[in-house]
Amino acid sequence: MSPGPVAALLAAAAAAAFLTDRIWAVAVIVGVLLLVCLRAPADRRWPYLVGALVSGAGVIVLSPFLWSSGAGRLLWEGPTIPVLGTLDLSTDEIAAAVLSGARLTAVALAFSVYALLLDHDRLVASAGFARRSALAVALATRLVPTLERDAAGLAESVRGRGVELSGARGYATLLSPLVAGSLERASSLAEAMEARGYGRPGATRAPRPPWTWRDRLALAAAGVLVLLAVFVL
Amino acid sequence: MRSETIARVEALSYAYPDGPAAVRDVTFELSAGEIVALLGPSGSGKSSLLRALAGLVPHFHGGRFSGRVLVGGNDTRTTSPAQLAGTVASVFQDPEDQVVMTVVGNEVAFGLENLGADPATIWPRVEGALAAVGAGTLRERRTVELSGGELQRVCLAAALALEPRLLLLDEPTSQLDRAGADAFLAGVAAAGCAVVLSEQRVERVLDVADRVLYLEEGRLLFDGSVAEGREWLASRRPRYAAQEVFDAPVARPGEPLVEIEEVSFAYGSGPVVFDGVSLAVRRGEVVALEGPNGAGKSTLAKLAAGLLEPVSGTVLRSGRATYLSQDPGRYLVRETAIEEVALAVGGDQVRAQAALERFGLGFAVCRHPRDLSSGERERLGLAAVAVSQPDLLVLDEPTRGVDPDRRAELAAWMLAEAQSGKGVLVATHDAGLPAHRRVRVGAARREPVGAL
Repeated sequence: MSPGPVAALLAAAAAAAFLTDRIWAVAVIVGVLLLVCLRAPADRRWPYLVGALVSGAGVIVLSPFLWSSGAGRLLWEGPTIPVLGTLDLSTDEIAAAVLSGARLTAVALAFSVYALLLDHDRLVASAGFARRSALAVALATRLVPTLERDAAGLAESVRGRGVELSGARGYATLLSPLVAGSLERASSLAEAMEARGYGRPGATRAPRPPWTWRDRLALAAAGVLVLLAVFVL
Repeated sequence: MRSETIARVEALSYAYPDGPAAVRDVTFELSAGEIVALLGPSGSGKSSLLRALAGLVPHFHGGRFSGRVLVGGNDTRTTSPAQLAGTVASVFQDPEDQVVMTVVGNEVAFGLENLGADPATIWPRVEGALAAVGAGTLRERRTVELSGGELQRVCLAAALALEPRLLLLDEPTSQLDRAGADAFLAGVAAAGCAVVLSEQRVERVLDVADRVLYLEEGRLLFDGSVAEGREWLASRRPRYAAQEVFDAPVARPGEPLVEIEEVSFAYGSGPVVFDGVSLAVRRGEVVALEGPNGAGKSTLAKLAAGLLEPVSGTVLRSGRATYLSQDPGRYLVRETAIEEVALAVGGDQVRAQAALERFGLGFAVCRHPRDLSSGERERLGLAAVAVSQPDLLVLDEPTRGVDPDRRAELAAWMLAEAQSGKGVLVATHDAGLPAHRRVRVGAARREPVGAL
């Protein structure tokens, strides 16, 4: 399938997750996206899945304590913390947290499918008027595995000297060299792109296969999904 | 009849912003179709000269530029690198830093699209270029899933697809095993355009080159035919004339520092990297771990160093091990060189200073590691693992991209460490490094790959 309609379908799924208030509908979207994610190679999909599921679970666990709805049955009332206020837990807050967490998971999974399975190059080519922006997004996505490898390399470099990295604070010390390394890579990539004629006027595009009935169907499904989320669900 | 001049460098001098001169008063001409080996130590100005020929110096890097570079009749001071693209094509050292697209075919098409090639010709040219480097089967593969060797061939195909008149290659085979490097250079030799090839694997390059340029401290010390170049190198720079093969004196190995018995390993749920491997390293010996790209040398080295644990089999370790990763200059984590080295000794700056001086980096104590040259970064990586005086030193491809002088220093250091009672395990493509024993790691993933 062409990546444009698939990207539209993914965007529609993420939008529908935010537009509907029905938790079962969001759960269905999460489930479908999760199944699609599982089609990616195991060694590439796990960071995306962990990121999506942990961030969603984090919202579900933490957010009920950090805001008060003032509604629902109060299940627990804790101490008053400066800045945060009084910690409490009610049925209403739990329901809202589950919905928010599921929405976040849906968006993260939609991005995961985009990053893992779409042909970003064809998406860039079909972007037309926004080609530079689309290329920037595609490059950022392509560099995620590189960033992951660099992070592992930095940790291994430190452990290889007999120094153990422990806890979030230990790993946080690698953040600065990771950013510096990414900037170096970005500079090298920019140099290579310039040497390959990027930015020269008169660029052409390699011919791409035309859309099939599946592509049209996916685009129509994206529209229907958003309309359903707005008017039905 | 004299062949057409494709490039002319006239009294070129260049310095990066706030840096010393990288190229000093260099003059030469390049003829169409000739293959030129550009030799010299790390930091001698080879990469800067290649960048000048591509117009990246001064356009991309800035700095102080004097003299003139003409490529295909275009003055690089007034012609941007993007305008020169097509006439010139470049392949850089690290393929990870130059790949733009997600899918191999699109990556090769990227440059053609930028140059405004006729859309109807793009896919045939992509297929032709991939076939020319033996990578025709990779067209639909994702670039992120390719090995370093495959990716480097794709980068060469992307350059060849432009049908350039001048091809610039900056240490392109540094990540490849012998077979991969030979295949790459065969592709270069068949390209038909003028080629300038910077390399540290001198012998291999001289076999395909027509001419030699030798740079040192930014100055062009030699410019002549390969036959003349071999003579000049043999008399003036013998380490560049032929790859030195270092002998290891007879060792009296002591107690085992690591004993690996019948281990198998896989990353997560991925394929088995190796199965049924045995290996031992004792005090006082250097053991070389050899084999093609992807055979599992690095994984076995990490197992020996205690960074990984096997899926099955046993690993017995005694004493402390340190591990120097591939490309250590990329994985430096502190703000100054002395902090970088002191990290392994609990911040002991006296020991760190001594280690820096041992590796010729006494001048760099307060410098940021990323401000050092690539060769200096490699040495900083070595100092950072050696400072703690481990019992076992595990080195992963330590001669990758290292010039012959530094390689000789490294060989001497490895032997000295072994003679002082340490064990040294080195995973390498470099068959000339000294070793008391050599262990071959095979490519067949599900077969036993080496036993002692």
